[in-house]
Amino acid sequence: MSFTEKAMGEYTPVILQGQQTSDDEILAKTPLDAKALGGDSSEIIMELLQRFKVRDVMKRQVISISRKATMRDAQKLLRDNRISGVPVSENGRLYGIVSVNDIITGLDGGWMDEPCEDHMAKNLVVLEAGMPLSFALRYFNNYTYGRFPVLDSDRRLVGIISQRDVMRALLYELSVEIRKLEMKTSPKAAQAEHVTKENFFRKEWAVVHNDLSRAGHAANAIKGILRERKIDRSIVRRVAVAAYELEINICIHSHGGVLVLLITEDTVRITAKDRGPGIPDIEWACRDGTSTANDWIRSMGFGAGMGLSNSKRVSDKFEIESEVGRFTIVQCIFDLPKAAAPQQEGAAS
Amino acid sequence: MTITDVVKILGGKLIAGDGNSPRVVGAVVANDLMSDVLLNDADDILLLTSLASDQAIRTAHIVGAMGVVIHNAKPLSETMIKVANDLSIPLVSSPLSKYDACVKLHDAFLAEERG
Repeated sequence: MSFTEKAMGEYTPVILQGQQTSDDEILAKTPLDAKALGGDSSEIIMELLQRFKVRDVMKRQVISISRKATMRDAQKLLRDNRISGVPVSENGRLYGIVSVNDIITGLDGGWMDEPCEDHMAKNLVVLEAGMPLSFALRYFNNYTYGRFPVLDSDRRLVGIISQRDVMRALLYELSVEIRKLEMKTSPKAAQAEHVTKENFFRKEWAVVHNDLSRAGHAANAIKGILRERKIDRSIVRRVAVAAYELEINICIHSHGGVLVLLITEDTVRITAKDRGPGIPDIEWACRDGTSTANDWIRSMGFGAGMGLSNSKRVSDKFEIESEVGRFTIVQCIFDLPKAAAPQQEGAAS
Repeated sequence: MTITDVVKILGGKLIAGDGNSPRVVGAVVANDLMSDVLLNDADDILLLTSLASDQAIRTAHIVGAMGVVIHNAKPLSETMIKVANDLSIPLVSSPLSKYDACVKLHDAFLAEERG
């Protein structure tokens, strides 16, 4: 395997264009024991590695330092943020990286008060945000670096990706995919989904980014499940509205996620979890009429900024949590009318 | 007013769903913004929209609409027709504009009330 790597010189971040590694090679080097998961699981992993792009997994909030900052500043930044390397970047342009090794060398050599640009690593290996995740895995396998800066198509620094980010995303998606596979292949598992506990029902649906042709499937299915369970019509409608709005939100605003239905004895819960990009101002996003939707979304009848406020309006309890660059979780809870309490023996009439 | 009556009043054509459905129109909602439709609490809605997409049908299903009318005779995709059939939502195509369709339905309601 030969990878091309150029010296940065004035600044030429290098996107590696390596020879194609076979899928088996990638899997063999993947810490997940794909074979242990059964015959279809390797296909699932490969599909995930191709479907997910670097941008879906990377951290978007990049801690960086300027070229003129001193090595001591860099040392403080690494220590305070408990990170092992910091990109040297100005106005989105990447110039180099200062790592713990550079700091140790600086301490040893006595140039901690000199600017980072004189001592940073300039031979950089970077990833492009639009690359499939399989590329990132290949880079981690072929280099000893713990992280790679991520650039967009205009060569601007837009994120940073570590092995931990990749594994976390893969494990999460695998759990969703395996559940789907079990449901498909094992009638017992499907049945178990219905009878896990006497008063407990849980089911989840994967929602794919920008796939409006499938958006609404989960909400329609949820409505059917609630109807079958003879839940009050007005509650069914409210749950369905929240589920639909949240499903559309995942589809049009996020990098993808899941919609989860949980029915307990006294509540119905709809939970929408996605993999980012997160909401910077939740209060603003929950106001009527505020939206970041584009014209394409609007042409589909959505994007009027009513999704979160509608979901909140129909819910008895509404919770939202978000971290920019990582996730958003919205939970809508609906109270079910309490069943008539059994009369106690000997109770006064 | 059943879906059969709606087809007649709007000079339309039933494209999908059960044309013999006994459900009657409870309220007419004319809107192209699906979140606005979801805000509506009325039962047995007849949805008038120019949004000729699957999402119009899915939204109608979520709010329990009794039918969907696409006005201006906009072309309907095969998937939209399939979704309407799958979810048993009567889908009507009408050559009228949204305004004219609303006026015709309003007149028909008044006539119904007068007996």
